[in-house]
Amino acid sequence: MQAPLAGRALGLPRAAGVRARAGEPYEVDGLRVEAVRESWLVEDRWWTEQSLRRRYWELLCAGGRNLVVFHDLAGGGWFTQRV
Amino acid sequence: MAQTPPYVELHCHSAYSFLDGVSLPDELAYRAAALGHGALALTDHNSVSGSMELAQIAKDAMVRTIHGAEVDLSDGRHLTLLVEDARGWRNLCRILTRAHAHTRDGQALGEPAIELPALLEHAQGLVCLTGCAERGVRDEPTVRRLLDAFGPERLRVELQRPYARHDRARNRALEGLARRVGIRCVATGDVHAHAACRAELQDAFVALRHRTTLDASEPLRRGNRSHVLSAPRAMAARFADHPHAVRETLVLAERLRFELTRDLGYSYPGAEDADAWRRLAELCRSRLDERYGSHAERPGAAEGRRCARAALAQAEARLAEELAVIARLGLAGFFLLHHEMLELAREVACRVRDRDSARTLLAPGRGRGSSVSSIVCYLTGLSHIDPIANDLLLGRFLHEDLRGLPDIDLDFPREIREALIPRVHERFGGERAALVAAFPTFRARGAIRELGKALGLPPAELERAARTADGWERPGEHDLPEGSPRWRWLVRLVAQAYGLPRHLSQHPGGMIVSTRPLIDCCPTVPSAMAGRQMVQWDKDSCADAGFLKIDLLGLGMLSAVERCVDEIERVRGERIDLSRIPFDDAETFAAIQRADTVGVFQIESRAQMQSLKRTRPRNLKDLTVQVAIVRPGPIQGGAVNPYVQRRARVLAEGVGGIQYEPPYEHPALREVLAETLGTVIFQDQVMQVSEAFAGFTPGEADGLRRAMSRKRSQEAMASHRERFLAGAARHSGAEPQTAQRVWEMVSGFAGFGFPKAHATAFGLLAYQSTWLRVHYGPEFLCALLNEQPMGFYAPDSLVHEAQRRGIPVLGLDVNASGVQCSVELFHEDARRGSVSPSEGGVRAAEGGVRAAEGGVRVAKGGVHTPGGSVGAQNATLGVRLGLGYVKGAAVQEVRALVTERERAGAFRDVADLAARTATSRPTLERLAWSGACDAIAGSRREALWQLGMAAPAADLEDGVQMALPIELPATPRLRALDRWQRLLADYATSGVTASDHAMAILRPRLSAPLPSTSAQLARMPDGCSVTVAGLVIARQRPGTAKGTMFLLFEDEWGAINLIVPKGIYESRRALARAEPLLLARGRLERREGVTNVLVRELEPLERHVVAEQDGERQTASVGRLPRRDPGGVGKDGQPASADEEHEAEASEGARMAANMRAVAPPVQSFASGRRR
Repeated sequence: MQAPLAGRALGLPRAAGVRARAGEPYEVDGLRVEAVRESWLVEDRWWTEQSLRRRYWELLCAGGRNLVVFHDLAGGGWFTQRV
Repeated sequence: MAQTPPYVELHCHSAYSFLDGVSLPDELAYRAAALGHGALALTDHNSVSGSMELAQIAKDAMVRTIHGAEVDLSDGRHLTLLVEDARGWRNLCRILTRAHAHTRDGQALGEPAIELPALLEHAQGLVCLTGCAERGVRDEPTVRRLLDAFGPERLRVELQRPYARHDRARNRALEGLARRVGIRCVATGDVHAHAACRAELQDAFVALRHRTTLDASEPLRRGNRSHVLSAPRAMAARFADHPHAVRETLVLAERLRFELTRDLGYSYPGAEDADAWRRLAELCRSRLDERYGSHAERPGAAEGRRCARAALAQAEARLAEELAVIARLGLAGFFLLHHEMLELAREVACRVRDRDSARTLLAPGRGRGSSVSSIVCYLTGLSHIDPIANDLLLGRFLHEDLRGLPDIDLDFPREIREALIPRVHERFGGERAALVAAFPTFRARGAIRELGKALGLPPAELERAARTADGWERPGEHDLPEGSPRWRWLVRLVAQAYGLPRHLSQHPGGMIVSTRPLIDCCPTVPSAMAGRQMVQWDKDSCADAGFLKIDLLGLGMLSAVERCVDEIERVRGERIDLSRIPFDDAETFAAIQRADTVGVFQIESRAQMQSLKRTRPRNLKDLTVQVAIVRPGPIQGGAVNPYVQRRARVLAEGVGGIQYEPPYEHPALREVLAETLGTVIFQDQVMQVSEAFAGFTPGEADGLRRAMSRKRSQEAMASHRERFLAGAARHSGAEPQTAQRVWEMVSGFAGFGFPKAHATAFGLLAYQSTWLRVHYGPEFLCALLNEQPMGFYAPDSLVHEAQRRGIPVLGLDVNASGVQCSVELFHEDARRGSVSPSEGGVRAAEGGVRAAEGGVRVAKGGVHTPGGSVGAQNATLGVRLGLGYVKGAAVQEVRALVTERERAGAFRDVADLAARTATSRPTLERLAWSGACDAIAGSRREALWQLGMAAPAADLEDGVQMALPIELPATPRLRALDRWQRLLADYATSGVTASDHAMAILRPRLSAPLPSTSAQLARMPDGCSVTVAGLVIARQRPGTAKGTMFLLFEDEWGAINLIVPKGIYESRRALARAEPLLLARGRLERREGVTNVLVRELEPLERHVVAEQDGERQTASVGRLPRRDPGGVGKDGQPASADEEHEAEASEGARMAANMRAVAPPVQSFASGRRR
């Protein structure tokens, strides 16, 4: 009998090394940010014990790589996330 | 020099964008000012409901108002419209009216929306923005159509930056669109909250609006707080990529200069009629002789007739004075318009009432409010109170400094009002007449239920929390269970939502009429009732707009009085003209003085009854004061206790022959406060004191009164105070301390209070209704039961109280009851279903209950012989409950059932009932369970059993297809319901029991020491410790009581007043607010004939219910009322231990209480009517 597949959440945030100026990232994991495509804000789930306050950045990095990172405004720290 | 702010907010929603915006206009205005905004546009969804309010407040807040709305197109897209000039306002009103035109076409309230072509037809004077980020117009063809209609100067592409993904891309695309089309862009913030602390509420409102939870509404919510009003600089920074769009906000704002408060171009019909004054004067003079001349009959024979000539002279002088004021104010057309309304009402009344009925002797309506003081109103029929005979001064209603229009309120019986409103629409035209809107606001209970649901909290716990919350107070932490963050958030959200408008509703009776189409002044929307429409403004905004508002109010007691005189004529053949009854009837005043006033107008409440016993009104003037005294104004102004004490001195004066002179703070007050013994009880006295003591002009005095009664008044009151104190020193030479005390008397009156004229009108109706109750008790009770909901007491309490007075009340019976309750003549032995106190298991002798006093005995043939006996033919008038009282029984089916019975005779049995009527099974079952079939089936259970076997008739298009008569098989022996079960069934089906009182059933089952009955309390000494128990029929916690709660218990002998101190209330809050059966321990207090129990302990009565006696216990072991096994057998089959017995008793009490909780009659609650 085949064993059931273990459940695994997809798209979980990963910690990222981000250098920012006035809140705006200019380097992610050593990659230089060429342009900011978009930036948005998520403030949600405040009624639960896992409230979210995140500033997202969609970035065009050196080498043409697209990245989405967010700054956790509540707990601190930068993360990358596939969205 | 202050710098010009770099940005103007042109897209902002207030809470009048229902369940979307979360801030009131004043919060937005003051916050905008604090953030440095110079102007603010209000653009609520399809509405201008908040516009006038914002326009008024913005003057104080120093923020210029721009008016507009966000309009839904029929394809779901939005456009933002801003008003540039008066023509633009008219067009916006027409667009919004059109958008709402079909919202009431279907069963449910539809969403407003307008077709784009219709909107484009009304483009003049409006600036159009292409709409919000989410649902704005973005396609080029539509933008070009907008361009054709609005032109390049009045169309802008709207850019928003809600910090959502794809904002930048969208705005870049929109900029491209604007370039292609050749118009400019403008930045907006799409504000929904004035401050960040309301951001969460906006999320919750979105969930609420979509009838879902916060957890399930993520795609619908905004996702962040960018919709909170930001400072102009912050907004400029937000749109750093689009500086030209930011600059454009300033350019547009500079152009949008329409001033809503200046001129709407409104006028009422007759306002410009040059001949109006002459016609009004002629009308009044033509009736002067009729009312005051030698032919006038003065009511109140015992007071003697006035000298006709003197009265006429006085009236002529008063009329001349009033007409002169009316001429100077140019209000003749205003009075003629109201007169025309009354004539319409007369015409409607003729249609509504039977031509020959006793009701035709009654006026179609009567005045209330300050207008009752006007002789012009009296002579034109707008008031039924003689202002000369009642010493009513005009100043509160009309004076030369009057700004705006005075108010004339008219009361009508409900059914006349229902027919009158469409008639007014018809008379003035649909476009020129509309009702005034009202905005029900979030209160604690509703907010807990709705927001708790959005938070995903358990429904049962929410309901418990809601029921224990004070409906009119902001809830605190203690109101709600402790626990998860969701409960904590609920407390915060409920507090934030409190007082915000929930939806658009209809004012009870305010109507606006206009010479020009109203929809050029304010948008109108269809009302819930077909054929009616209402403006989008509430009464304050209508008043600020200078609209003439006519209040056509429905008054339940007038309807009840109409029913009562009809029933008296039907039963006894007497035609009562209430304007010609004796107004000094000793029996009536005796009833008033002993507070025997349950069910009568205005003086029936718990507080009024207690007051009546102290003030003991002896005539209509006393009653006028009495009606006015139990109001927040006199209570907060500290008038009640001084008045009651001084009144006691006045009453004693009659005995001792000593002339009592009430104290006055200053001699200047003697004249104006003499009739209220030196206290301020009438609203007019606020003005009179200001004039006599502080030297105010009538206009200044009226300004003070208005400042007190309006919600936007805090700052205004402070400036009035300064002028009052200075005026008192200058005008009356008053010492500062005296002036301050008088100011406190006056300003304490800031709560609601009656003008004397209004109290006179209500006092008269209070007297008339008491007179009917005293002399025609059964008919009066019947009328009250048929006119519910109205008054202080639920039908169940009215029935019990009438039974205690000896008026029999008969239960439901399919072979005797009509659709409505009716008065019946019947013999003593025919009292099925009725239990007077003597049948309730405890004897009347126990305590002073006047068992048969109110019973009216009549001889056959309906001859009225109050209290008399007519030998062997003795019969009694009683009230038979109507089948319409059965909840869940379809009204048309009940009507058809009664018609069939009247056509072809009584139903023989259940099979016959089912076979001859097409009554549905659910209705038949409700009737059976209510006891209405007992007479033909034996008992409720047997009736239900037989219904299961009976073949029903079929309801066909052209009549009823009767079922074949089938003999039903014999009913097996079914256990009858016991008394408690019958009580529960009565409450569950009709909300009324004419049988046992709950306490009559429970008292024999209460553990010792037994609580005292209400009758026993009357004989107990002041200060003794007592235990009482009862069914809660009123619980009130008025703001004026500083946390104290007043409970009214009812037991089988009467009512018990309880005072629950704040501390006890706080610790037993859930019990006090929600439990129907309570036991209280405390101290008996008796003062001036008034008895109260000052509560020390409050417990649920269930804890004191013990197991029944064996004989009773064997009667039933039934689902709704489980009992212990006979013989006290324990869980393991062994004889029950003492603990098990106790547990069983306790659980039985708990089950009884739970069953009772589910069906208990509604309870009167302070300021929010009766509720469960």
